[in-house]
Amino acid sequence: MKNSFDEKILDEAKDWLAAKQNVVLATVIQTWGSSPRPVGSRMIINGKGDFSGSVSGGCVETTVVRECLGLLKEKKPFKKIEFKVSNESAWEVGLACGGEIAIFLEQIN
Amino acid sequence: MKKQLLKEIIEKKEKKIEFSIITNLENGESCVFEKGKSINKNFEEHKEKIISQFDKKKNGIIEGTNIFVETYIRPIKVIIVGAVHIAQYLVNFAKSLNFEISIIDPRGYFASKQRFPDIKIVNKWPMEAFNEIKTDQNTALIALTHDPKIDDPALQHALKNKFFYIGALGSKKTHTNRCARLEESGFNDEQINKIFGPIGIKLGGRSAPEIALSIIAQLVSEVYKK
Repeated sequence: MKNSFDEKILDEAKDWLAAKQNVVLATVIQTWGSSPRPVGSRMIINGKGDFSGSVSGGCVETTVVRECLGLLKEKKPFKKIEFKVSNESAWEVGLACGGEIAIFLEQIN
Repeated sequence: MKKQLLKEIIEKKEKKIEFSIITNLENGESCVFEKGKSINKNFEEHKEKIISQFDKKKNGIIEGTNIFVETYIRPIKVIIVGAVHIAQYLVNFAKSLNFEISIIDPRGYFASKQRFPDIKIVNKWPMEAFNEIKTDQNTALIALTHDPKIDDPALQHALKNKFFYIGALGSKKTHTNRCARLEESGFNDEQINKIFGPIGIKLGGRSAPEIALSIIAQLVSEVYKK
């Protein structure tokens, strides 16, 4: 049986939009190896860099926030980003768990 | 994603409709897809593949395309019998886990809107209540009153309708008596053994939130066993 796990990030996005914030939606679209969050996991980011939800176990969120702010600044509607296996510098960017993920960023407007 | 689409998605979720969000990763276009309804013309060429992905209830990129599909399935229905203290904690856990909750309790002073805001409360005896709540094999029952005249009819309904999870609160002694009553009513051992009683996994705690946690943990583990 499957549970319809819904972390209600889209519901939160609606509230953020109602509060006149710019919102970028980040969705995990592909994973390889042992990635911390499954495909469909979501996170939202506003123009101030506040975020809610997750696309990894905390490994790449900082970079995703930066990318999303860049998207807003450049007024780009969407972008795909990928994170590969990290080395020891897991503090920087990458997945310490050895997985790989692709994330789709899109503005909600 | 367009704001209008986001609105549509949230409406469909609230109505508990099964649907997919489909996104073209090449041009950023997205829309919702519902089985049996016409598909947005921009996705027409991948229609068959989108339907097949929808049927598999799997999220992901359709092989050989740039189409990402995310499917929303109907939440699992959880019926709580007894609007007691434990139920107040239980509904909070169940909400975070996205279960669809209904509470049955004929005792109006327990099942009040003030105690359970935003929850479907059926202020009737179980047999009448089940005329209002549609149930199937994907429904779970959590019986919390340990009052035979309220719990028993609900347990009998759940056993007859083969709920995937049936749990009943009460000590070992209470449960032994309960099993005897069910046997008298014509249920066999195999059926009676499907009831988790005393309900919940062993955590050791005895406070209302601790018992609620032990119940919800057992329920989630049963979801993945089926």
